[in-house]
Amino acid sequence: MSKIIKCRTISEGYGEGEAIVTDMAFGFNHAVDFETGRIKEPGHTLEGEFIKGKVFIFPKAKGSTGGSCYVYQLGLAPGSPAAIINLNTETIVAVGAILSGLPVVDRLEEDLFSNIETGDYVKVDATNGTVEIFKKGEKH
Amino acid sequence: MFLTDEEKRMAEGEYGYGPQIGMKILMAVGKVYEAEKLIPIKHAHVAGTGFKTFGEVGVAWLEDLVAKGAKVRIPTTLNCIGVDRATDLGFPKEKFDWQMRIDKAYEDMGCTSLNTCTPYWCGYVPRLGESVSWSESSAVVYCNSVLGARDNREGAQSSFAAGLTGRTPAYGLHLPENRRGQVLIKIIDQPKGYSEFSAVGCYVGKTIIDKIPVFENLPVPTNEELSTLGAAMACTGGVAMFHAIGYTPEAPTKEAAFGSNTYETIEVTRKEIQEGFQVATRSTTREVDLVTLGCPQLTIQQIKVISEKLSGKKVKDGVTLWLQTNAFVKGMSKQLGYSDIIEKAGGILTQDACTCLSYPELAGYKTMACNSTKVSFYTPGSNGLNILCGSTDMCIEAALTGTFPEEWKQDEDF
Repeated sequence: MSKIIKCRTISEGYGEGEAIVTDMAFGFNHAVDFETGRIKEPGHTLEGEFIKGKVFIFPKAKGSTGGSCYVYQLGLAPGSPAAIINLNTETIVAVGAILSGLPVVDRLEEDLFSNIETGDYVKVDATNGTVEIFKKGEKH
Repeated sequence: MFLTDEEKRMAEGEYGYGPQIGMKILMAVGKVYEAEKLIPIKHAHVAGTGFKTFGEVGVAWLEDLVAKGAKVRIPTTLNCIGVDRATDLGFPKEKFDWQMRIDKAYEDMGCTSLNTCTPYWCGYVPRLGESVSWSESSAVVYCNSVLGARDNREGAQSSFAAGLTGRTPAYGLHLPENRRGQVLIKIIDQPKGYSEFSAVGCYVGKTIIDKIPVFENLPVPTNEELSTLGAAMACTGGVAMFHAIGYTPEAPTKEAAFGSNTYETIEVTRKEIQEGFQVATRSTTREVDLVTLGCPQLTIQQIKVISEKLSGKKVKDGVTLWLQTNAFVKGMSKQLGYSDIIEKAGGILTQDACTCLSYPELAGYKTMACNSTKVSFYTPGSNGLNILCGSTDMCIEAALTGTFPEEWKQDEDF
């Protein structure tokens, strides 16, 4: 059985895919390959992992403010994630995502990290503010 | 969010497409932060100006705005970029041309291409308590912390939206109650010299992410040291403001810095400073072919000191030394004869360009040394070069010998 949790809309749209989760803050600038979605930040827990086509879940953003242009370019590139879920989204991600049409939500009504883990399948309806979670192995 | 009549008219398109799209972006940001209103401002500074960052889609976005007649309504300046407008640094012409289209589009909309990450050293100095809308994370920190002016970590497009409208949403650090310290950074071993301030910033940013740190027991800092401290914290973390007790305007005392906030304490010793340098150092060799100093861009004082260190010496064959600054400082360096000394030594005084936004990887370089932990942190992702990070003196030695020294050296006078 999937589980649906309400959340706040940051950038409208719909995206679904396998979840990739980190509890570390993430800065986009220079940190994701536009073609493959490979994470390049040195020392990040997700360094070398891929976010292309996935639902990318991290608590909050950090790093350079040019990141909003980087998010914009990534949102329109092959390496883009399907959607982003944050604890609290901030300006850099919000602006780049809204302008490129990348779905983003934050502030789930239940605890984010105990409900979603890497490998789960997640459907993000950012327009209507819901996240549907299928645990690993569950049919979606 | 409350809008004045003028703001409503901007949102409805009465002032044209520029203010209309600007209002759309600002209202979206205002919604995220539940801002009650917009604040009128007199300066915007826009980052994300590098072609590497914004890409062909960014050029298309900007040129579409130009075609629709968008113009900024307040003074709006531009950040550093991926090329040097005056000197060929060996990058492909195609990258230069794309980059110039970004600058031209912004200029067509009324922006000023300062091409600096340090607008606060190029004539744009907001007053204590004044609200502005700057992106460029290092400038945001300097603005809030050292100047006591008010700004949030705006994205490039939201600061440009502020330029198009003359407004920014009233949230975050524009509100005095959000500007008090949240974590005490107790300096046990004081950083010595510019690059060690960068190392402290690297460690603290990585550790506290986006809290407001209060530094206790820093040695008397230069503005350059405070600038690089903030740049590093905004890179490995998301710090937007710090206090340095006794040195920054909103922290005459510890009590003033924290107000009624409770806080935890983090200590900084030699171990944390050294860790700061090592966080992103990645190199299989100590033999360098590129040395870069100037992140944030060098001041005239720094160039003076570097020229003294280079005087009568020669950068090793096969090694390139970039000293990165803006056209303001470069002009003065020429007038004062520092440029001559640097050129005679084989160094290159650049303008406009930022190492991470530029293309050393396409000019054939393999291993780079720097004195900025921000450069070292971004290089693996932005340029893919081997990267070594240390003091300014170590970098200059690397430029002169081709080898990054094994032995650690603190800066004596930088």
